[in-house]
Amino acid sequence: MQKDEGQDPKDKRQSTEFCPSLETKIAGVDFANPVLTASGTFGYGQEFADLVDLNQLGGIVVKGISAEPMAGNPSPRIYESRFGMLNAIGLQNVGARRFLEEKLPFLRTLRTRCIVNVFGYSTEDYVRAIDILNGGDGIDAYELNISCPNTRCGGMVYGSDLKLTEEVVAASKRAARFPLFVKLSPNVTDITAFARAAEAAGADALSLVNTFVGMAIDIESRTPRISNVTAGLSGPAIKPVALRMVYQCARAVTIPVIGMGGIETAEDALEYLIAGARAIQIGTANFYAPDTALKVIEGIRDYCRSKRLQLSQVVGSLRVPNEPVSPSAEEPLRTTVGG
Amino acid sequence: MYDETVAVVENRSLTGGHFVLSLHSPRQARATRPGQFAMVRLLGRSDVLLRRPMSIYNVVPASTPDRAPVVVQLLYKVVGRGTRLMAELRPGDRVGLLAPLGHGFFEEEYFHRAAAADEILHVAGGIGIAALLLPARQLEAAGCRQRLFFGGRTQDDLVGVDDFAPSVGEVVLATEDGSRGNRGYVTKPLGEYLAGHRGKKFLMMVCGPWAMLEASVKLAKQYGHACLVSMENRMGCGLGACLGCSIHVNGTGHGSYERVCTEGPVFWAEKVVWEESPPKS
Repeated sequence: MQKDEGQDPKDKRQSTEFCPSLETKIAGVDFANPVLTASGTFGYGQEFADLVDLNQLGGIVVKGISAEPMAGNPSPRIYESRFGMLNAIGLQNVGARRFLEEKLPFLRTLRTRCIVNVFGYSTEDYVRAIDILNGGDGIDAYELNISCPNTRCGGMVYGSDLKLTEEVVAASKRAARFPLFVKLSPNVTDITAFARAAEAAGADALSLVNTFVGMAIDIESRTPRISNVTAGLSGPAIKPVALRMVYQCARAVTIPVIGMGGIETAEDALEYLIAGARAIQIGTANFYAPDTALKVIEGIRDYCRSKRLQLSQVVGSLRVPNEPVSPSAEEPLRTTVGG
Repeated sequence: MYDETVAVVENRSLTGGHFVLSLHSPRQARATRPGQFAMVRLLGRSDVLLRRPMSIYNVVPASTPDRAPVVVQLLYKVVGRGTRLMAELRPGDRVGLLAPLGHGFFEEEYFHRAAAADEILHVAGGIGIAALLLPARQLEAAGCRQRLFFGGRTQDDLVGVDDFAPSVGEVVLATEDGSRGNRGYVTKPLGEYLAGHRGKKFLMMVCGPWAMLEASVKLAKQYGHACLVSMENRMGCGLGACLGCSIHVNGTGHGSYERVCTEGPVFWAEKVVWEESPPKS
């Protein structure tokens, strides 16, 4: 390269400044950065268009879609607990066909990756939703929601039965035209068993975790705070537990892991990335601070710049005493600190 | 709709644990239409995560020479953790304000109905009064005849009557304990008024607790008057994303549910399915 003596000092500073890449690749899908918005917390994207530059996001995971439209649960559906919130929305959604007609065209105008969260009440139901959605151009991947009640098996939950997990993941993978992420439930004894089962059945990546089943009671009326009685807990309250599960799963499988649970800041997100998540999702924070995802992206960039690390070097770089390198790290960490 | 961090101008204490919070926010004040609401966020409190939905009570100019509104006023009652912390706000403190939100009272169709009515009947229960002041002011400017029926548990709940009075011809008050106005529910004098004025065409605009809404809507139906209700519900985001505030409605939409924050908060009374158990605030 020719040396240019007349270079603007500003350009010169830029050329020497370390410019980290935040790009991340999951199941063949390239993301400009590792920050996605979580299903059920960001509508179909358009709801936030006035407040957030959607093109800056790594990806949008849309509200769970089923083959047919769903009405959802009666009020009250949400309740705020300390450091978190409970929700039992009941998967209200417009159904796969109307999603393709009414919601996807807008999402297609964005540079941001579009991931469609899919759920059903039986394996056939999941496959039916995927068959319809396969007709949609502009979908980058599916996220299979396997933590909803399965009426077929007497109230059992797909995501808490290893055999059903394998069955629905395998059937969905066979049907899916796009890469298949599987979203795991944390309401199990050993989440790594489900991570391995999903991987064995053909999952291309894992998203974790969904909400933790909880409840709250109004002591005056002695009635549940939520019409459904039990509800999913999300928000900062769940972060340490969710982070532990992401750490365990990232070590248990070879497919990429997407981490989420109570992320409010770039520091929260970096914990997940260091624990082994190749991307993260912002959930509940979208409700009260819609600019969270953009602030997290900036914060991750600042961190990488100050440490002179690419994002790929941060992912899985957790250093546990007596464990030289985390097995899920993409490449060895280049650092002179600590040895 | 704008998401802003705004300064508290005043947090004025009224009777019965009610407050009027004045926030300096010219853009949001100018954009506000009658019947819209705001979501208030207490900053730096991770234990109080969600914003609190509140009717926009009033928008006011800073001084008389300049008439453009610059201050958003919210009327609220201390009922829980969030509002208890709000009551501690002082001038100069900052809060997050997402506003204005929702469909107000005067979408095209509503306004025609208002103009065609012999009289507008505002029916407020307790803090529900907060949703009705701006509509009353707009209708006053349009030359509509108006009357307010306002009920509360005690006289301490009847806040804002003085703000309302100049815009309406008559104010009818009721308290459950009889400490001010008629004793009992406000729907009693409302029913009597409707019974005594058969043949008149009223537009009712109602905001308050579920039981009061239900009783008012029943009266509107019985006497054949058009009725708009401003609904309340717990909300997670105010943007239409969380689906936490959905209420059961007749007809289609998002299934048989519609979002108070986006399709509402103002609905035609016949749209709402009243048989369902009330949402809790």
